[in-house]
Amino acid sequence: MLKKSIIKNLQNIVGEKDTYLKKESLNSFNIDGVIPEIALFPNNVEQVSEIMKLASKESLSTIPMGSGTKLALGNKPEKADIVISTKNLNRIVEHAASDLVATTESGVSLKNFQAELNKENQFLALDPPHAERGATIGGVIATNDSGPERLRYGTVREFLIGLKIVQADGSIFKGGSKVVKNVAGYDMPKLYVGSLGTLGIIVESTFRLYPVPEYSETFLVSFPSLEKCHDVVMSLLSSDLVLTSLEILNPELSNSLARSNNLDLEDNKYSLLVGVRSVKKAVKEQMSKVKTICNQSGGKGDIIVGAQEEELWEDVRNFPWKIVNPEKIILKAGVLVTDIPKVLGNIDELSEKSGVKTYVSTRAGSGVSIIAMEGEDSSIVNMVKSLRAFISEQRGHLVIQEAPSAIKSEIDVWGDIGSGRVIMKKIKSNFDPDNLLNPGRYI
Amino acid sequence: MTTQHKTKSSSWKNKFREKLIDIIGSEGVIFSEDELLAYDCDALTSYRIKPIFVVLPNTAEQVSQVIKECYHENIPFVPRGAGTGLSGGALPTEEGIVISLSRMNKIIDIDIPNQRVVVEPGVVNIWVTNAVSSAGYYYAPDPSSQIVCTIGGNVAENSGGVHCLKYGVTTNHVLGVEMVLPDGELIEVGGKALDSPGYDITGLVVGSEGLLGIVTKVTLKIIKKPEAVKTLFASFDHVEDAGASVSGITARGVIPAGMEIMDSFCIKSVEETVGAGYPIDAGAILLVELDGPTAEVEAQMPIVEEVLKENKATGIKIAKDAKERDLFWKGRKSAFPAMGRISSDYYVQDGVIPRSKLAEVLGEIAELSKKYGLRVANVFHAGDGNLHPLVLYDSSKEGDLDKTLELAGEILKVCVDKGGSITGEHGVGHDKKRFLSLMFDESDLDAMNLIRCAFDNKGLCNPGKLFPTPRTCVEPGMKPYHEHPVQKSGMGEMY
Repeated sequence: MLKKSIIKNLQNIVGEKDTYLKKESLNSFNIDGVIPEIALFPNNVEQVSEIMKLASKESLSTIPMGSGTKLALGNKPEKADIVISTKNLNRIVEHAASDLVATTESGVSLKNFQAELNKENQFLALDPPHAERGATIGGVIATNDSGPERLRYGTVREFLIGLKIVQADGSIFKGGSKVVKNVAGYDMPKLYVGSLGTLGIIVESTFRLYPVPEYSETFLVSFPSLEKCHDVVMSLLSSDLVLTSLEILNPELSNSLARSNNLDLEDNKYSLLVGVRSVKKAVKEQMSKVKTICNQSGGKGDIIVGAQEEELWEDVRNFPWKIVNPEKIILKAGVLVTDIPKVLGNIDELSEKSGVKTYVSTRAGSGVSIIAMEGEDSSIVNMVKSLRAFISEQRGHLVIQEAPSAIKSEIDVWGDIGSGRVIMKKIKSNFDPDNLLNPGRYI
Repeated sequence: MTTQHKTKSSSWKNKFREKLIDIIGSEGVIFSEDELLAYDCDALTSYRIKPIFVVLPNTAEQVSQVIKECYHENIPFVPRGAGTGLSGGALPTEEGIVISLSRMNKIIDIDIPNQRVVVEPGVVNIWVTNAVSSAGYYYAPDPSSQIVCTIGGNVAENSGGVHCLKYGVTTNHVLGVEMVLPDGELIEVGGKALDSPGYDITGLVVGSEGLLGIVTKVTLKIIKKPEAVKTLFASFDHVEDAGASVSGITARGVIPAGMEIMDSFCIKSVEETVGAGYPIDAGAILLVELDGPTAEVEAQMPIVEEVLKENKATGIKIAKDAKERDLFWKGRKSAFPAMGRISSDYYVQDGVIPRSKLAEVLGEIAELSKKYGLRVANVFHAGDGNLHPLVLYDSSKEGDLDKTLELAGEILKVCVDKGGSITGEHGVGHDKKRFLSLMFDESDLDAMNLIRCAFDNKGLCNPGKLFPTPRTCVEPGMKPYHEHPVQKSGMGEMY
């Protein structure tokens, strides 16, 4: 239990209105059964700094968060005295449209940020899940979240050019700059991408932007077999087509999306979504080549445009939270593009053997799969262990994104971090010597 | 702080040399005074320091053993690629050794279907493209020195090139590294598959200027050659109009593969040297390259031409074939060497500004040039606002170099005042460390020092670079050490 005086002092920093103390309201910050004693919603960077100064003086374990859409990521926290949400840091600082650069506070939601950028026909080229549920810019950076369009644009590390951090001891520093090309000093922004709040609290960030493409189309096609589907993937990737996204849906997910979105897809087949965004003429020309390649391999499908296209992609990005039951486990696998059929085949085999229902969406150009499973905890644990071992043999990775506590207690969510762990630990202990930030959840 | 590396006795040196020879063999250790001279500077030749030895390891294991010896004996070491760096990043340290990676030059793995190439650090940049070109691929970062500079050096400096506006710089194409940490431990981070768990150590190491260890293996991403490429150049009476065209083009939603500007000084010297077909009387030319699917390039070309005309282009020439395109680029790529025709010496800067401030900054540079009475030629990666002002001077003239450095410093101040950076691709190194504080305050630099100390708590790995003032490492939890003003002024030292 925190001392009353500490609670009072924390509350004084942000004000009563922006402090949660009641048990009912704190329950929503439950991470694997660990519930903080106080949640704070600072209104500016100075308040974040004041909180951390106090936290480090009193050795308070701190969970930084944005809007909380990805709180399930990471191992069970060792301790959680306070939660700091950046949600009230919600000002867009600057959109320098002619420089294709924008700076924002980290509590701004991705959705609001995009809306602001769209006014100048620009966008942040990130399409992670949860945008519709209020995912914040800071949370997207800290979890290195991404979506199907990473094929064309890459991930957070490609666009994040500057940031401001409140450190564990409350000191504030900035890294990077506001220009797209800069090699002055270490590339500090890279360190915070995917750092899960363990190295400091991201309070402001600067991104490079892209112009919104004029036109978009998606070809949705199903194949008689996984092999045929993957042959097409390899042909598309080695062609000179510039695709925006290329997503393989396994039969389970394909069936489910066909039902929910009224799609004309053959039952129990592997499907492929091919997205192209550019000037209209270039989209049309490329799409006709895509169709030819798909048809030659026995693929049958249709072009989807407009609102139906947008909805379908939104559902693909968010499928684990939309169509799978709440007691689910969500994983992310990264393998070589050429190993995709092996891994999808292994998933299919293991699912059948263990009676686990498995939905998979594979970013086929990146080799990254989002996997959602439903089933008995014990069967899931066995299946995840087998799958992780199989993927490790292919020199790939399998990370648990979300799972019930019972499963997390049986499997480390991150898996083997490799020989780099030694230096990661040293960095962590230099930036957060008292291990206050997200203790136990990550590095 | 200089007392840290006391001059070693010759008997100690002999013993240390024997240890190095035991590790690498006698053919891999250079100790003769003449041969050492070849390593006393990089392409920034105004600073020179002779190392005690140079070692040329063949394997990561040898690199690790050499560094373990250095760690044990507290000997500073400086990694070196091809020595083409322009910021003195490979300048040796007094009483230190140089570790040259030039013998580790094998391409280890070419994986076309997965679009990956794994190389040793001494592999020359262009070799990567050459190795995958027949399959229709290339390695995107293309610094002007790409026919000599090495991937290891590119990783250290986070090198750019003329196509990074659209395709990014080295960091966007490096997926993993194997490296020897400054205590000799060999680690591997990232790799061919994406999204490995853990901090992005690869991202931190790229651009760390050889201060965090020695990279012994690099996993690169290669990309498919575009279906269509169109290159044009437009001539202008005034360089400011060329500058305004650049932000005009991106504002219209077009991201060219590259946009380069040269001013009249450069045009003249380039024309006299290589004859790229540039109009010799133009005030400036803007080179624009579009690439991608044919239909996209065809749709964007008229937009580009429209913007150029709106900004008073006096002529536009589109390359009719690959041969002419190469000629246009040859002109650009020979801009630095061609300067020799109009000036005995030049000093190049590498500042970055927001694209939209190009016209404004060019005006300010012209004024500074007048004020200092030194000619400044401008050639730059305009698309990403990366300026390369070349200050022309005569080293035989008393005081000319000092004036040049002062003027170059003023230009960097202008860049930072406009919200830019002191270096876009050449690195801070030895040359620009005094300017780093223009961009970063003490707490920003303290945070960077926490990184350095996590990797190199003894400060042996390429010391004396990047940081404006010496910083020591302290135990976690203690505040970083700052020099006492008395020490700073040189009036006293701490023991």
